[in-house]
Amino acid sequence: MQAIDRHIQDEELLGLADGELKPARAAEIEDHLAACWVCRSRRAEIEGAIADFVRLSNQSLAPRIPPSDGPRSLLKARLAEAVQAQPALGWFHQLRVGLSGHRLVYASATLAILSLIGLWLQNSRPGQNHLTEETAALEPKPELTPGAIRAVSLADTCGGPSDKNRAVPLSVQREVFGRYGIATARPQDYEVDYLITPELGGADDIRNLWPQPYGVKNWSAFAKDQLEDRLHEMVCAGKLDLPAAQHEIATDWIGAYKKYVQNGEPAMQRSENGTVYDLAKLSLD
Amino acid sequence: MSADSADDVVAMSLSGVTGVDHRATTPVEEEVIGLFDDLRVPLFRYTLAFRLSSHDCEDVIQEVFLALFQHLQQGRSRRNLRGWIFRVAHNLALKKANSNRRHQQEQDAPWFDEPADHAPNAEEQLVWNERRLRLLSVFDALPDGDRFCLRLRAEGLSYREIAEVLDISIGSVSEYLTRSLARLARADRR
Repeated sequence: MQAIDRHIQDEELLGLADGELKPARAAEIEDHLAACWVCRSRRAEIEGAIADFVRLSNQSLAPRIPPSDGPRSLLKARLAEAVQAQPALGWFHQLRVGLSGHRLVYASATLAILSLIGLWLQNSRPGQNHLTEETAALEPKPELTPGAIRAVSLADTCGGPSDKNRAVPLSVQREVFGRYGIATARPQDYEVDYLITPELGGADDIRNLWPQPYGVKNWSAFAKDQLEDRLHEMVCAGKLDLPAAQHEIATDWIGAYKKYVQNGEPAMQRSENGTVYDLAKLSLD
Repeated sequence: MSADSADDVVAMSLSGVTGVDHRATTPVEEEVIGLFDDLRVPLFRYTLAFRLSSHDCEDVIQEVFLALFQHLQQGRSRRNLRGWIFRVAHNLALKKANSNRRHQQEQDAPWFDEPADHAPNAEEQLVWNERRLRLLSVFDALPDGDRFCLRLRAEGLSYREIAEVLDISIGSVSEYLTRSLARLARADRR
């Protein structure tokens, strides 16, 4: 047996507790521990610290971890998307694997020429290109903003004072801009909008926020405000289910506008004093 | 209305956005979802050690499993997938933390993270809170490497796995763990 006065170092006590020592060394240390109170209590201290750390830190972190249903369905949808995108990748791989040497050079040259033609075609129609970009910004990106809701009752939704225009903190607005790749945009050009408005049970959650442009002609933040009012009115009048309203506004707000507000594009402008005018109606007068 | 606990928030399903998906899921998709179910919470705890907000952690975890899907789809090595997953999470979390630092956003991150305490009773709560705060403040003050090591060990990774995630030697893992546990033990005794 080893001399009792040569105590075991912390590192080896921990290695023993973690099962990380070579069996021969582990057996020697066990022998020592059987005879040494000092090392036994040191081992107990280390093991106590491990147990406390795991228990207390896991308990304190638990409230910061949201339930997994939402993220799980998001992942499933993104995987499904990736699977559907796969054949294109396979085709590209096959091309690369099947081509070698000269053939690869020719193929690359052909691809380069084709992309140049593509680029030229795109640039020769600037108006159309601009329009696509503008349309893309009218709706949120589902992978970034699927929408998120709170558990609310109809009484909460229709009874209390309206919390429609809840301010989004500036730091969160910046984060939304960052997620949408427009970190340098001017805040006054966008409304960081709740996709599902709090009035309809929308949550304070980054997945429920997106930057909605003000400067577009028709499908602007003003039109969406109008839709939100309309849906709220219908839900509270019992003409539409709350979950249905949440779903419609989260998946295709422009479609919902056409369905519930008016069929066709809104033609509205905001005057100096903030009143919204429906130009279509004004022109009828 | 103001105190939304995270439990009440439900993200809308994407099925309505991308169109209902009628095809059967592939075995790789199922495997990835299975690993997501097993490892999301451990990964969440680990990425929180990078001082990220909850939604940043969630983003990182999504990216990890999308990368895992590509990894498996391309028929790459399946040796120790758990270690692989933690390594990718480590790298992505580090990248996110660095970019946050550049945007100086870390101070105002906890908008969505209001931890709620569940008290058994007032007295127990007091004692528990004191010990917890003491221990967690020691943990929080540890150097990054020590914090990551402890967290990975707490999630059940072996020294070899931790060494691979952090790209350090097994000897250093053992040294970091010993040093930080000694500090935690001292804090607990006080």
